[in-house]
Amino acid sequence: MKLRDRLFSYKDPYDLPGSDPLFAEAMREACGYQGAHNEEYARILAARGFSPEMITGPESLASIPVIPTAVFKHHRLATDAGLAGMISVTATSSGTSGSMSVIRYDIGTLWQALKMTVRVCAKRRLFSLKPCNYIVFGYKPHRGNRTAVTKTATGATLFAPALRRVYALKFVNGEYEPDLEGVIEAVQKFAKSRFPARFMGFPSYTYFMMKMMDERGLSVKLPEGSLIMLGGGWKQHYREKVDKQTFYALAERVLGVPENNIVEFFGAAEHPILYCDCPAHRFHVPVYGRVIIRDVNTLEPLPMGQPGLVNLLTPLVKSAPLLSVMTDDLGVLRGGAGCPCGCGGPYLEIIGRVGLSDIKTCAAGAEEILNDT
Amino acid sequence: MILSFGEICGSEKQDEILAGLEAKINGVRAAEPLDTGTVIGAFDRLAWRIEAGEFDALIDSLGLDAAARYKAQAVCMLRRESLEYRLRRELPGGMGGLEYEAPPFGLQGVRAFRLPLGTIFHIAAGNVDALPAMALAEGLLTGNVNILKLPQTDKGLSVTILKALVDGEPALAPYVHVFDTPSSDVAAMLKMAQMCDAISVWGGDEAVQAVRRMAPPGVKLIEWGHRFSFCYVTGDHTRHTEELRALAEHVAVTQQLLCSSCQAVYIDTEDPAAVRDFCGLFLPMLQEAIRAHAPKEIGMAASLTLRRLTDEVEAAITGGSAQSDGTDLMGRLPVRALPRVKLMEALRKRKGRLQTAGLIADDPQDGIIDILTRAGVNRVTGAGEMSETFQGEAHDGEYPLQRYTRVVNSRFHAE
Repeated sequence: MKLRDRLFSYKDPYDLPGSDPLFAEAMREACGYQGAHNEEYARILAARGFSPEMITGPESLASIPVIPTAVFKHHRLATDAGLAGMISVTATSSGTSGSMSVIRYDIGTLWQALKMTVRVCAKRRLFSLKPCNYIVFGYKPHRGNRTAVTKTATGATLFAPALRRVYALKFVNGEYEPDLEGVIEAVQKFAKSRFPARFMGFPSYTYFMMKMMDERGLSVKLPEGSLIMLGGGWKQHYREKVDKQTFYALAERVLGVPENNIVEFFGAAEHPILYCDCPAHRFHVPVYGRVIIRDVNTLEPLPMGQPGLVNLLTPLVKSAPLLSVMTDDLGVLRGGAGCPCGCGGPYLEIIGRVGLSDIKTCAAGAEEILNDT
Repeated sequence: MILSFGEICGSEKQDEILAGLEAKINGVRAAEPLDTGTVIGAFDRLAWRIEAGEFDALIDSLGLDAAARYKAQAVCMLRRESLEYRLRRELPGGMGGLEYEAPPFGLQGVRAFRLPLGTIFHIAAGNVDALPAMALAEGLLTGNVNILKLPQTDKGLSVTILKALVDGEPALAPYVHVFDTPSSDVAAMLKMAQMCDAISVWGGDEAVQAVRRMAPPGVKLIEWGHRFSFCYVTGDHTRHTEELRALAEHVAVTQQLLCSSCQAVYIDTEDPAAVRDFCGLFLPMLQEAIRAHAPKEIGMAASLTLRRLTDEVEAAITGGSAQSDGTDLMGRLPVRALPRVKLMEALRKRKGRLQTAGLIADDPQDGIIDILTRAGVNRVTGAGEMSETFQGEAHDGEYPLQRYTRVVNSRFHAE
C-alpha cells in the first residue's frame, strides 16, 4: 500500500487537483489488494464485471462498485490478511438505527489516519500546548462501548494537554444517562479557570446544554482560546437540529465562544476520513478521500450543486474493503472557489438522511417477510 | 409548538405546562362532560373551512403525491354526516345511558352507560399526514381529554388545524393538548403517560415496546401496531389482468408504506412454474406503475434506491441473485406459492400482525374468505383497493370509538 502511504503524506490536505492522479493510483492499488485478499469483495467485483485495472484515472473512480454502509452491518466483510500479525482497533458505528457495523482497522491504517488527523487539525490550528479543561459531550469510555464517536471524542482531548475531562453522558446501571446539570456546573467552574475550555462531542447535546443555560439566564465568558468541537452528527436528535447560525449565536451569548472557535467534524466508521470544517464552516473534501454525489434514482454521478446520495471513496483502509461506500445521508457537493478560507476545493454539505425510518411506515417489517417466507 | 387550552406556545414551555396539566385536566373532568353534538358541529365547521381552501398553502407545502385527493377525503370524513354515521356504526347504543333490557330468569340487572375512558395520550405516527388530527377527532367524539404527541415528521399541519378547531369551538379547548415532544424526551413522555387513563400508540414494534415499558401498570394500552397485508391469488390469474394492474398501481402509489399496503403476493398453487408465469405477467405491470409513480420526495427515492443497491451487493456476496432487475423496481414484493390448504399454517406465523388480504379469485365465494378470516385476516378487499378507506370499517378488528370508551354500571339508576 505504498501509494496509499504517499497519498496520506501529501503535503497540502486540500489540494484535490494536484493529488487526483495519485489518488486514483492509490485506489487501484487498494482495489487490487482487497480483490486479492477479500473473497467477498472479489465476488462484488465479479458481479459487477469490475477489475482493478479498470481504474485508469480520476474519471474512472465512479465505476468502482459502491457498497452501502448497511452491508457492513449485515456482513463482517473484514480483510483478515490486512490485519495479520498486527494489533488493531475496532470501531463500531453508533448504530442509531439499531444495528451496528463493526470494523477493525489495522495498525498501518491507523498510522496513516493519524498522519491525516495531524495534518487536517494543524491546518485548522487545533493543536495547542496550553493545557485545557475538557467537556466531552459523549460517552465516557468503558469496556462495553466501542463506538467510533466515543473514540473520536476522547481522542480529540489529546489535541491539547488535558487538565480535567468531564463527560456529559454517564454510564449508570448499564445505561447512558445525560448529565447536563453536571456539565453546566463544570462550565461555570471552567469559566473561572485561567486555562481555556474545550468542548467535544455530539452537537445535539451541546445545543441542549446551551439552551438549558440560556433558559435559566446563565451565561459565562469562557477563557480566551476556548474551543467547541462538534462531531458525531445529529442522529436521533434530528428534530432538534438548529441552523448553524442559531447555534453560533447561542454559543457566543451563553459561553462567550466566538464563531471562529467552533469546529465541526464529520466522519464514519465506514469512511474513517476526517472531515473538518473550515473557518467558514464548510466541509472541504480532503485529499485522502473523494466524494461522488449520485442521483437518487439512477445512481449516476451528479454535477456540483445537485443533491443526491453521498458516495465516499478512500484507499485508506487495508483491513476492510471500504474503497467506495454509500452512506445513508443525502448531500450536495459545492464548488469552493470563492470560499473565504482560501482552500478553493469543493465542499460537502449534508442535507439530511434518506427517509424511511420506523415512523414513516406502518407496514410490518419488510425484512421479516424476506427472511421467513 | 405546543397547543394547550387553545393557546399556542413554544416547545420550551413544555415542562412548565406539563407540571400543571394534570390538576387542570382534573378540573376539566370534574365539570360538565363534553357534548358529542358540540364536537360534531366543530369538526363539521372545520371540514368546510378545509374545503374552502383555508389550509391549502400548508397542505401544498407538504408536497404530498395526491394532496387534492387526501384533502377531499379528509373533508368528507370530518363532515357531520360522516361522524354521525361512524357513531351509529361503531357505538350503536350511542354515548351515555344504554338501553336497558331486563335479564332472563329474574336475574338481577343493572343500568349501563357508555362513557369516555377519561384522558387519552395519543402517540401518533408519521406515515399518514392527517393521522394525528384524525386520532384526536376520535378521542373527542368519545368525550375524552386528549394529549397528543406529534410525530417527528409533522410539519405544523396538525397544530394549525387543531388550533383552528378549538378557536372555532372554544368548548373543545380544554380537551386538546398537543405537544411536539421528541420521543427521546423520556421524562416528558413519562409525565404525559402518568396523567392518562389510556395510551393510544401508533407505530412500529420499537415504539409499541417503548410504550409498554413506559406505561404505568393499570393504564389501558391501545396499540395500533404495524401490520402485514398481502394479496392472495386463486384461480386463473390471466383472467384478472385488470385487477393485477390495479394491484400494481396500489403497490406503486402506497409505496408499501401503509399497514394495508400489499407486502407479498401468494398464489394458490404448488407449482413453481405457475409462480414464474404470474411474475412474467405481473412484473412489467409493476414496473410500469412504479415508473408512473416514482416517489417525488428525494429522501424516499434515495431510500428505495439504497435498498435496491444493498440487495444487489448482498446478493453478490452470498452468491444469490438480486431481488430485482436492478433498473427501477423500487420495493420488494415477494411472490410465493401458497396453496390454500397451507394458508392457515403460513398465516398463523404472522398472528397478531395480519390485516388486509387483497383477493383475486375466480370465485370469491368458494370458501377462500373463510379460510383467510379464520387465520386472522381482519379485512378482505379487492386487490387494487387494499388501502382504500371504507366508511364505518373497523381498524385492525376493532372499532376505534369502542376502544376509546368504557361501559360503566350503576345500581342507582332506574332499570
